[in-house]
Amino acid sequence: MSDVVTSSPAAASSPAAPTGAVTADGRGGRTAGTVFKAVVWAALLVVLLALPLYVNEFWLRTGFVVFGAIVGAIGLNLLVGTTGQLSLAHAFFLAVGATTYTYLSGSPGGFTTKVGGLALPPVVGGLLAVLAAGIAGLLFSPLAARLRGIYLGVASLGLVFIGEHVLNTWTSVTGGFNGRSAPGFSFFGFSFSDADKPYLAVLGVPFGQSERLWYLGLALAAVSYVFARNLIRSRPGRAMQTLRDSEVAAAVMGVNVQAYKARAFFVSSMYAGLSGVMFALSVGSIAPESFSLAVSVQFLAMIVLGGLGSVGGAALGAVMVAALPLVFQQYADSLPFVAGVGEGGIVAGEAARFLYGAAVILILLFQPSGLAGLPQRFRRPRRPAGEVTAFTPGEPAQGAAPAQKTEDRPTQSS
Amino acid sequence: MSGATAVGAPAPGDAGAQPELRPIEVEDISVRFGAVRALADVSFSVAPGTIHAVIGPNGAGKSTMFNVLSGIYKASSGQVRYGDAMLTSMEPHRIANLGIARAFQNIALSGTQTVTENLLLGRHHLTKAGFLSSGLRLPRATREARRHTERVREIATFLDLGDKLDTPVGVLSYGDQKRVEVARALCIEPQVLLLDEPVAGMNADETQRMAEIVLEIRDALGITIVLVEHDMGMVMGIADRVTVLDFGRRIADGTPVEVQADPEVIRAYLGAGDDSGDDAAADSEPPFPSDEERTS
Repeated sequence: MSDVVTSSPAAASSPAAPTGAVTADGRGGRTAGTVFKAVVWAALLVVLLALPLYVNEFWLRTGFVVFGAIVGAIGLNLLVGTTGQLSLAHAFFLAVGATTYTYLSGSPGGFTTKVGGLALPPVVGGLLAVLAAGIAGLLFSPLAARLRGIYLGVASLGLVFIGEHVLNTWTSVTGGFNGRSAPGFSFFGFSFSDADKPYLAVLGVPFGQSERLWYLGLALAAVSYVFARNLIRSRPGRAMQTLRDSEVAAAVMGVNVQAYKARAFFVSSMYAGLSGVMFALSVGSIAPESFSLAVSVQFLAMIVLGGLGSVGGAALGAVMVAALPLVFQQYADSLPFVAGVGEGGIVAGEAARFLYGAAVILILLFQPSGLAGLPQRFRRPRRPAGEVTAFTPGEPAQGAAPAQKTEDRPTQSS
Repeated sequence: MSGATAVGAPAPGDAGAQPELRPIEVEDISVRFGAVRALADVSFSVAPGTIHAVIGPNGAGKSTMFNVLSGIYKASSGQVRYGDAMLTSMEPHRIANLGIARAFQNIALSGTQTVTENLLLGRHHLTKAGFLSSGLRLPRATREARRHTERVREIATFLDLGDKLDTPVGVLSYGDQKRVEVARALCIEPQVLLLDEPVAGMNADETQRMAEIVLEIRDALGITIVLVEHDMGMVMGIADRVTVLDFGRRIADGTPVEVQADPEVIRAYLGAGDDSGDDAAADSEPPFPSDEERTS
């Protein structure tokens, strides 16, 4: 198996020597990079783990919202950025997750509107909610066989409208227009809400709901991140990326195109479902207005900002888009142009939207690979052209945003 | 022939990759796009283990023929049989699973992925790792990936790509990308290799090298190769048999020598004022994209 090349002496001799040299070089560079990356990750993890000991409740609550957004953004990026299937239905799948969790684990009752509930353990309710969202995605996926690009996006829009209508009218499950409160999370008796929890303190810092949820969110986001990262770099990930770049090529290489689109929808919606459950936990209730089209658009903004096809980019984008409005709100007094609640002028939420709206435009114009591509940009000048060995899979090359590739059919020639 | 067995040997672990060569029978294939008839009752057969070329002027229907063979287009009538398998009623990925691989003329690689990753796609039907085992990095998934990466490296080296394995395909030269196309098709461990204009836009040296590679593949692997090509010199030099198409019809079929002497073929290529394909398939088949520009 060692002597590969057949009868041609030219083929045998030429690649042998350079192969060793270049690979060694490439590995050398990558080892240094890997160590650096590992250190950065470790430092980030330590900071994230230690944070609840030092910061106040506002930041912890914001953190949990951001973790939920990260999970959702990674899920949408798997579908849109990696597989190339435009979806505006992400808010719908979030709603399926949040509502299913609330109904399955919630208790029947309610003050003004009567709602049902199965009062299942929150872990069971959460898992079933994620599964339900996945199945909803799976059921929608056959449309992707017929529709591509913007048409698929518009078709998925329908789901959001249907979802909002159902949320408003199916009162016994969703609580109707006013919504209903969501049950707190607990894990084998360990409660993540303020209700009936045993006192717990670490290093003298009492661990209440926000501290506990912080760690729950961190764990869920980390697992989601690692799973997606592994997925993209493996057999299914390669098939998904080829599906995005050329459906015909994927099919001819033996990829069952329809089955793969279905799986991409399934996984992406499961991420959305988990994100929905986390959203319900962070707010403590669900309401139809939380799952409007604007939410889908926000998730799209996250992945475009972060970088289509990049898991890390999705996380970065989620941090920006989810945290900005909350931070602006909190520090409205000290920020110029941002008005506090009840004052005239630009309120925090709008200010944040202006900011990331402008950021999306700038990114699309000048940095199509998103925030995730920035390191590449600064590294580039030092490298000779054509030697991009530190390129990581799943991060689109500069100027080659995958969403722009719409040409699917093979160009004919004969 | 020891080297030949090295390339020909199936990768460790994929059982049943023993070449079982079957003939391809194309029978009365017609393809219509609306009112345009891209192919009209074309028949030919490809003997196992031969290099069979399909040639013709622009718009003759060569690539349409390939799209029928690989399942991208459905024939309006007629059938293609591969042994006892009916290719005309199969989906593209099932045809790939039969060991029929195709290299695209207009490179259809993922530019952001490295050469290795592009080639590993060719191993798709030989591997099993699913979403769960890949996402969790289960040992069997990583072991499988490592094993197939070895085989991919062998095939890349065979096509002079051994030193470019970690390079994103998008930054490679045109000639290199064409060879990655061929390498990816070979990674399927095919019994039939469909090459769509493998030397289009290549310079003389690259063309010469590609011709050598095609012959080497045939000799080393003993597989059937069907070739669509413009470059007459290359076709006549390496093909065992040639089918000539013009305006979607078969106008000749025979050995290179027979075909070259055929008056109909000479007329099609040098014909009086025949600006080839100006109406027959102009709608359905856009002219060459940018091959010429890309090489310049």
